Amino acid sequence: MIQLVFFLSVGVLLFVFLLVLARRGRAEGAAETLVEARHALLILQTELLPRALVTRIFAREDLDFVVAQGSRQVEDLFLRERTRVALIWVERVRGQVELLRRLHLGSARYYAQLELRRELSLAWDFGVLLVCCRALSLVFLVGGAYSGSRIVGTVAEAATRICEISGQSLAFLSKSGVDDFAGRGSTL
Amino acid sequence: MPLRHQPGPWEAAEDLRRKTLSGMARQIDRLIYLASTRDYNTGVYYHDGLAAIYSQDVACQALADCHREAFRQLLGASLQDLVGQLEGYMRSVHQTPDAFIAAWQKLEPYRVTVPVESDPLAAEFFFANLRTALAILETRQTARPSLGPAA
Repeated sequence: MIQLVFFLSVGVLLFVFLLVLARRGRAEGAAETLVEARHALLILQTELLPRALVTRIFAREDLDFVVAQGSRQVEDLFLRERTRVALIWVERVRGQVELLRRLHLGSARYYAQLELRRELSLAWDFGVLLVCCRALSLVFLVGGAYSGSRIVGTVAEAATRICEISGQSLAFLSKSGVDDFAGRGSTL
Repeated sequence: MPLRHQPGPWEAAEDLRRKTLSGMARQIDRLIYLASTRDYNTGVYYHDGLAAIYSQDVACQALADCHREAFRQLLGASLQDLVGQLEGYMRSVHQTPDAFIAAWQKLEPYRVTVPVESDPLAAEFFFANLRTALAILETRQTARPSLGPAA
């Protein structure tokens, strides 16, 4: 009987120890996700989505100017270069949006006060945006940078909207908040 | 006794714009000049005149700010504008246009003109535009090969 109680106690202790370890791992993982998400939000807002840059990359006037030069070789080079840049743009937007989505799927529900309706709408937006990014990559690959101008606008607008909602919903994405959180996570 | 205001990077950058950069009409000239003040090995900017008035740290920050500004403005320029600026710069250096274009196409010196912390997309976009601009200048040069360097 004493042996049984002893082994049961050891079992319970081990279980508690594993539970503590598991919770600690999740907290540290969540802190990493938060830092990644904040970085993704910053990159989207400052580097990938500013209207001036998007307009510049897909500017028709550049194509018209190149066509007016009357050299097929230059035109091919220009279209190749622009398509490459357009593909980099859409893939980077997709990558950063994926990071934000991971945050919302994983950690956000523990820390952010999101209404169910808002969370569902955000999930829908993420889904649509990621599908649009895939479609846009395909369009660029097949038809070049200037073949998807309408979808470019939609993707940029949807991504901007998601950034706004993410920024508003997750107030702790502010620098000090995340730093506090990251610090707390690592000492747990 | 009130504390004396220490001039910072903002004042130093204004000084740099007013005294040095205003003499360069093209953004591409400014970009190349500012990139040339940066040590390739350390990424630190040096400008003896500015450092003497302010401090090395302040001068470095001011040069970095102006460098980022020049890059941003050039990034926002249309391809037509960029071609015009590059052509102007080409005519201002003591090289034949053919030699200039060949060197820029082979060595790609413009790669070192990008500020360190620039986004990879912005840098790629800039390089892509410059490659196209060089191709356009090459085509124009082939059409009128007699044009030599500026006197």
